[in-house]
Amino acid sequence: MEYVVSILKKFPLTVFALVILTMPFWFPWIGGYGGLATKIMIWALFALGFDILLGFTGYLSFGHAIFFGVSAYATGLMFKHFSDEIIPAMIVAVIVGTLASVIIGYLTLKKSGIYFSILTLAFGEMLHSSALSTFGGFTGGENGLTLPDMIPSMLGIEMRGEVMFYMTAAVLILGYYIARRISDSPFGLILKAIKSNQERLEYTGIDVQKYKLGAFVISAIYASVAGSLMVVYEPYVGTEYLRWSTSGNLVLMSVMGGVGTLIGPIIGAAFMLYFENVLSVPLGEEWLLVLGLIFMAIVIFLPGGFTDGFKLIYKKLIGKKPDGEEK
Amino acid sequence: MAKKSDISKTISRRSILKAGALGSVAMSAPMFYAKNAWAESAIGNYPIEGDTVMLGFNVPQTGAYADEGADELRAYKLAVTHLNNGGGMLDTFKPSKLTGSGILGKKVDYVVGDTQTKADAARTSARRMIERDKIIMLTGGSSSGIAIAQQYLASEMGIIFMAGLTHSNDTTGKDKRRYGFRHFFNAEMTGIALSPILAETYGKERRAFHLTADYSWGHTQYDAMKRGTEAQGWTTVNNLMTPVGAPDFSQYLTEVLSSDADILVLNHYGKDMVNSLSQAVEFGMRELQKNGKTMEIVVPLFSRLMAQGAGSSKIQGVLGTTNWNWSLQDEGSQAFVKAFEAEYGFPPSMAAHTCYCQTLLYANACEVAGTFYPPEVIKALEGFEFDGMGNGKTLYRAEDHQCFKDILVVKGKSPADKTGEFDLLELVGTTPRETVTYDASIFGGELGPYEPA
Repeated sequence: MEYVVSILKKFPLTVFALVILTMPFWFPWIGGYGGLATKIMIWALFALGFDILLGFTGYLSFGHAIFFGVSAYATGLMFKHFSDEIIPAMIVAVIVGTLASVIIGYLTLKKSGIYFSILTLAFGEMLHSSALSTFGGFTGGENGLTLPDMIPSMLGIEMRGEVMFYMTAAVLILGYYIARRISDSPFGLILKAIKSNQERLEYTGIDVQKYKLGAFVISAIYASVAGSLMVVYEPYVGTEYLRWSTSGNLVLMSVMGGVGTLIGPIIGAAFMLYFENVLSVPLGEEWLLVLGLIFMAIVIFLPGGFTDGFKLIYKKLIGKKPDGEEK
Repeated sequence: MAKKSDISKTISRRSILKAGALGSVAMSAPMFYAKNAWAESAIGNYPIEGDTVMLGFNVPQTGAYADEGADELRAYKLAVTHLNNGGGMLDTFKPSKLTGSGILGKKVDYVVGDTQTKADAARTSARRMIERDKIIMLTGGSSSGIAIAQQYLASEMGIIFMAGLTHSNDTTGKDKRRYGFRHFFNAEMTGIALSPILAETYGKERRAFHLTADYSWGHTQYDAMKRGTEAQGWTTVNNLMTPVGAPDFSQYLTEVLSSDADILVLNHYGKDMVNSLSQAVEFGMRELQKNGKTMEIVVPLFSRLMAQGAGSSKIQGVLGTTNWNWSLQDEGSQAFVKAFEAEYGFPPSMAAHTCYCQTLLYANACEVAGTFYPPEVIKALEGFEFDGMGNGKTLYRAEDHQCFKDILVVKGKSPADKTGEFDLLELVGTTPRETVTYDASIFGGELGPYEPA
C-alpha cells in the first residue's frame, strides 16, 4: 500500500496518463462505452481549468459556461461556414473564448465573493438568452446549431471513435501537466496567496488584479478548448452549453471531487458523468435524488470531496497522512 | 519550492515519453470502439447478433415534461409486451405483418434513457443506448428541440429515430432527416384544421392577439395560426413571445386587455398553457365584451393532460386540436385504451398513443422489409399507408417522413357535461387528411442519404 502511494507521489503524471490511456480496456468492465469516455475527458478538462480559478484563487465563477458555450458556437460556425478541419476552427474558438474572458474578467473581478458569482451568473444568463433570441439566426435558437452529415477531421483524419478519444485524452494529459506546472510555479503561489489573504498580498506591492485576471483567463482557455472539443466530438451545439446549469454542474463536480487538488475535479467530472449515464439507468427516475443525497453526504462528511476520502482511507490503513513525511 | 519544481520537471519529461509509448500500445490493441459500424453493409447496430432485438426509449424522466415522459414510457412497455405476446392494436392495425411473437422471430427487449428535457443530455443518453446497449431503433422525446437533436445524432449513427411527442414544423420540415420519422401531427396541420372551425364558430370579423412560447415549436405554431386565421378573414393584432416556463403571464395579459383584440390565441404547451389560460380566465377575459362580441380564448394544441391541469371550469368551450383522445370509439383506439387501462388503471394520453403507434410501425416495417437493415426498413416506412391505429387512414409521406391523417378539433367540456375525471375533451369535428396535406417542399430541408456518411 505504501509502495503504491509512493509510486503515485513520484510519478503522478505517468500514473494519470496510464489510467486515462488504458480507459478503453477497463471502462467497459464497469458499464462504460466509447462515447462516454470521450465526454468524460472533455468535462475533466473543463473542470481542471475551473480548479485553477476556484481552487487556487477561491473565486467561484457561476458563468464558466460562457466560455464553453461561446467557443462551442465558434467551432460550430467555423465548421458550418469555413471547413471541417478542426485546427483553424479550434484556434478561432479559443481566441473567441479568451477575448470573452478578458472582457468579462475585467468587468467582474473587481468584486469578490458572492458579488463576483452573481455577476458571472448574470453574464452567463444574458448570453444564453441572447443565443436563443437576438442571435437565434446564427445559433439555431432552441433547436441548436445542427451540422448535418459533417465529420470533423484533422489533416484529413476523421475525428471519431478511437481517434477522437486519444486526441482528447492527449489534450487532457497535456492540460493536467500544464496545470501542475502552474500549481508549482511562483505564479501559482501568488494565486494561492490570493485565496488565503488578498489584502495582505496587496500590501506587499503585488498587483492582485492582474493575477486574478490571469487565473480567470487561463481557466477560460481550458473551458474554450473543452467547448471546442465538445463540438468536434459531436457536431452539434445546444443552447444549454451556455446555460447556468452547465456552470452549476461544473461547480458540483469540483466540490464533489475536491477543490484545489487538480485531480479532484477530474475525478468529480468522471463520477458525475458516469453516474448520470450508467448508474442512473437502474435507478430510473429517482437518480437525481440519489445524486443529491450523495452530494449532501460529501459536503457534510467529506468537505474536501473524494480526494479527502482517499486521504482518510490511507490514514486508516497506514496510520499517517500521505503527505506526512514531506514535512 | 524551487527544488520541488525541478523534480517535477525531470519527472514530467520522462513520464511524457512513457505516456507516448503507452499510447501507441493502446492504439494497436483491439478495443471497444472497433465496432463494425462503418464497414460495408453494416449500418448502426445492424446486423443484430443473438435472438433479441433491442429498442431504446429515450424519454424525459426528469425536467419540465416528466409527466409526458412517464406516460410515454408506460406506452412503450405496453408496446413491447404486445409485440412479444400479441394483443392491443396488433389485432386492429392493417395492413400488418406483426405476429405477436417478436420482430422477425427475435424477442423484443428495451433499454430506457432519461433526456432530462435537455437536448445535450438526450444525445448523451441516446449515445449510451446506441454504443453500449446496441439498440437498433431509438424513439422518444417530448419537446421539439430535443427530438431534433436526437434525430440528427441518430441519422449520423445509422439508427432509425421514431419521434414521440413533437409538434414543431421543423422536425419534418427544415430539420427532417432520412432516419427520422414522425407519427404526431404538426403546427401547420393545426393551423389548417383549426382556422375554418374558428371562423365558423366565432365569425370572420375577428381580431386575434397571440401569446407564444419563445422556442422552435411556439414560433412555427404562431406562424401557422396567423396564416390560417388570416386566410379566413381574421386580423392579427399583435403577438408577444413569452419565455418558456414563465410562472406569471399578467404583464402580457394586461397588454391583451388594453388592445382592441377580441380573441386570445395561446400558443403554449404543458404548464405554460395551464398557467396562461388560468390567469386569462381570472382576468375575466371570457366574459369580456370587445367590439360588440364576447372575447374568446383559443388553444391550438390541446391535450387531455393540460385540460386536467387547468380544470374543466376554465377550459369549457375552448377550442383546439389534438392528435388523439382516449374517448375515441374506433376499434384501434378502444383496443389500446383497454389494454392500457388494464395495465395501469387510467386512460393513456396522446403522447402515450403516438409512442405506442411508432413502436408498432417500426416493428411492422422490419417485418415488411424482411430485415433490420436500416435503408430497407426506411423504404418500407416511406409511403406506407395504414389504418386501425385510432386516426383513420394514415399515410407516412415519403418526401418528409410526416404522417398525414384526419385532424381532430376538440372543445373543453363543461363540468356539468363530463362523466368522469378523465372525460375533459369533446370532439367538435375532424378535418380530413386531404385538407391538411400541404406541399412537402414548403419548409425546405433535405432528408439526406439512405446510408450515413
